[in-house]
Amino acid sequence: MEEKRILTGNEAIARGFYEAGGKIATSYPGSPTVEVIEKLKQYDEVYSEFAINEKVALEVAIGGSFYGALSMAVMKHVGVNIAADPLMTFTETPVNGGFLLVSGDDPGLASSQNEQDNRFYGRFANMGILDPSDSQEAKDFTSLGLSLSQELSIPMLLRITSRLCHSRSIVNLKERQEVMPKGINKDKDKFCMIPSNSRSMQSFMKERLQLLEERAYHMEINRLEELEGADTLIITSGIAYQNLKELKPKASIWKLGLVFPISEKKAKAITKGYKSVIVIEEMLPFIENELKLMGIACEGKRYFSYTGELNIEDIEAGLYEAGLLKEKKNNISKMVETVPRAPLFCTGCPHRPTFDILKKSKAKVVIGDIGCYSLAALFPFEQSNSIISMGASMGMIKGVRKAMSLEAADEPLVAVIGDGTFFHSGITGMINLLHQLKAEENITIVILDNRTTAMTGGQPNASSGIYNFNEDMRVGIKPLLEAIGFNRIKEINQYDYKAAAGIFKEEIDYRGLSIIIANGPCALKYNMEKPHYYVDPKICISCRSCIKTNCPPLRMIKYEGIDKLKSSIDKDMCVGCSVCAQVCPVNAIKSSRELKEANDSDN
Amino acid sequence: MTINIMLAGVGGQGLILMTRIICQVALKAGYDVKSNDVVGLSQRGGMVWGNVRIGDNIHSPNIPSGEGDYLVAMEPLEALRWSNGLKKDGVIIVNSKPFYPTLVQQEKYQYPHEAVAELKEKYKVLEINAFEEGKNIGKKQVSNVILIGILARHLDISPEIWRLVIDDNVPKSAKEMNAAAFELGYNYI
Repeated sequence: MEEKRILTGNEAIARGFYEAGGKIATSYPGSPTVEVIEKLKQYDEVYSEFAINEKVALEVAIGGSFYGALSMAVMKHVGVNIAADPLMTFTETPVNGGFLLVSGDDPGLASSQNEQDNRFYGRFANMGILDPSDSQEAKDFTSLGLSLSQELSIPMLLRITSRLCHSRSIVNLKERQEVMPKGINKDKDKFCMIPSNSRSMQSFMKERLQLLEERAYHMEINRLEELEGADTLIITSGIAYQNLKELKPKASIWKLGLVFPISEKKAKAITKGYKSVIVIEEMLPFIENELKLMGIACEGKRYFSYTGELNIEDIEAGLYEAGLLKEKKNNISKMVETVPRAPLFCTGCPHRPTFDILKKSKAKVVIGDIGCYSLAALFPFEQSNSIISMGASMGMIKGVRKAMSLEAADEPLVAVIGDGTFFHSGITGMINLLHQLKAEENITIVILDNRTTAMTGGQPNASSGIYNFNEDMRVGIKPLLEAIGFNRIKEINQYDYKAAAGIFKEEIDYRGLSIIIANGPCALKYNMEKPHYYVDPKICISCRSCIKTNCPPLRMIKYEGIDKLKSSIDKDMCVGCSVCAQVCPVNAIKSSRELKEANDSDN
Repeated sequence: MTINIMLAGVGGQGLILMTRIICQVALKAGYDVKSNDVVGLSQRGGMVWGNVRIGDNIHSPNIPSGEGDYLVAMEPLEALRWSNGLKKDGVIIVNSKPFYPTLVQQEKYQYPHEAVAELKEKYKVLEINAFEEGKNIGKKQVSNVILIGILARHLDISPEIWRLVIDDNVPKSAKEMNAAAFELGYNYI
């Protein structure tokens, strides 16, 4: 079979796993790697899942590998932090079934809270690291990583970046090769990581890496492209290689597919023939450091940024500075300076009324968390004083409260967390709130339950089955919290603005710990489509209460015959959530349903 | 030969489907092709952009500044924002229906209607209210395929390939509407 397809990097990883005979693939949804698991769902031969968080995802994949099945865990770069505990010990053991960790790094922070370079995790955990530069390599390296892992008993890391995850290029497909799991390895000394056993694994990890380094000497994925007469060698990998190729530099290129370990013997033999060696890699100096540790003179971060992507223009500028290019032409900005366009809550989003209420409330400190509701940090809501990491709001609010209590400061504190984040890692922090809880300490926790993991495109979470017949987990947040021992829990319908505002006021005023579960299905996932609303400009008093909710269809416009600007609603965008009508103090906003009924009765 | 197509719009307008369709068409027509979609938050309202590069041998999915041949913009402000990426004789295909960003809605900025209109002085601009035309066909969502139709007229690839790939990529219930949208765009001069 020789079939060509155009695939994204994510789709190619899924395909590579399938072709290699992969059995167990797990993940937690996080940009940029969400689609890998979604694409694996089409293959009956593969068991795949979105787990409750990255640590559990990794543990499920470790279990698969422990049974001898080819296994893979996929996550965004910061997800590896959650999974780091099992990772750092699992990588001490031999690999029974080939294991691949896929880390979606995010140079330039397109959709992440930090820019950590997870190649350092790979090195830290004694893993081999593969770094693809297009979809074909993403597929090939997935298969190669699993087979190297199986053969050398070493856990492998496929490091891919957000640009490649979403970039499409042509890929040659192959048939799947079945690989039978070996069954559990009963050599308990090698898999029970108690100190006496783990001690001996330290040298095992080192030896394993040495074997891989020896293998690296001949690996075809570490490719030397020699240019006759060149006295400069550029060492690069990943997307930076493809961007570099556009510039046709007067240099030889050593393109690494395996970026760790690098064959020292090979690196020395190759670099010896050149007057200067330049390393081009996104984010931190990793390859550069490795080469310098080998005593190879090279320059990298002197010319290229340690942050952001290295696009063609950036590489051109760096090579110009390094004296390798005589001129740089691509120095104009692609973007015209004009009105910025920040993301905002979708039309009909249930979070909108909640943050509008919070903005008007007495709570001046709101601890935010990770999810769509992170957008509340932006203008015009500006309702987050801190956002750190998944679930962090629950621990943080306690620390803030305790520190304030020591000062006898008692202003109200609010933390917001979504349902997905609550299940992911908020719940542990919540349980911890019950420890040394003082009756008078005012904490209000708002759990935004939109019935899905929305920000990454609407994946299910532990409570989605209550609302979606085809999802299987039906963990109710309220009964769960009651069972844990919280006794003041209020539920609100986020679209019932007035009632919700009343409960928010009561709970923020309440001197003690209270929880508000703010219900409202994600308007996008659950396709809200109700009759649109419209503004009667003769009633509108231009107060802009509706405009402040930042709903996309709303805008102040000039009506004929009216001097002042009045509010308006784009009827093609409105999904009929009614929030603007509820915040209007003069009832100038009405449902087209009523209009239609009125017209019908007139006729 | 390399054809550089830039795409721009607002999150939720369906840019990813557009790049997928163009890529599949290029592959079917026997070219090398690479694309890029905006990476990031999946929710609506922010600016989104992408690239498709079609040619004999494409390395980077990124288009070097100032080397774009076409800019397919699903929104006028986004056409303006990305227009610097075009070549001097670049072509802009733009949906004329504005989608007002937060800062305009909150009256901190004016929508740059004039600057958008001035694009015509520098580039060949093909403007259509694809949103309204899409609604007339039956669904505003098909407006992107109208823009694809206009682009297809400019590229040296058989319209039959475009029709097949579009048919492959849209839900069964929307096949007729999308076919009509493509013809409308393809015949738009």
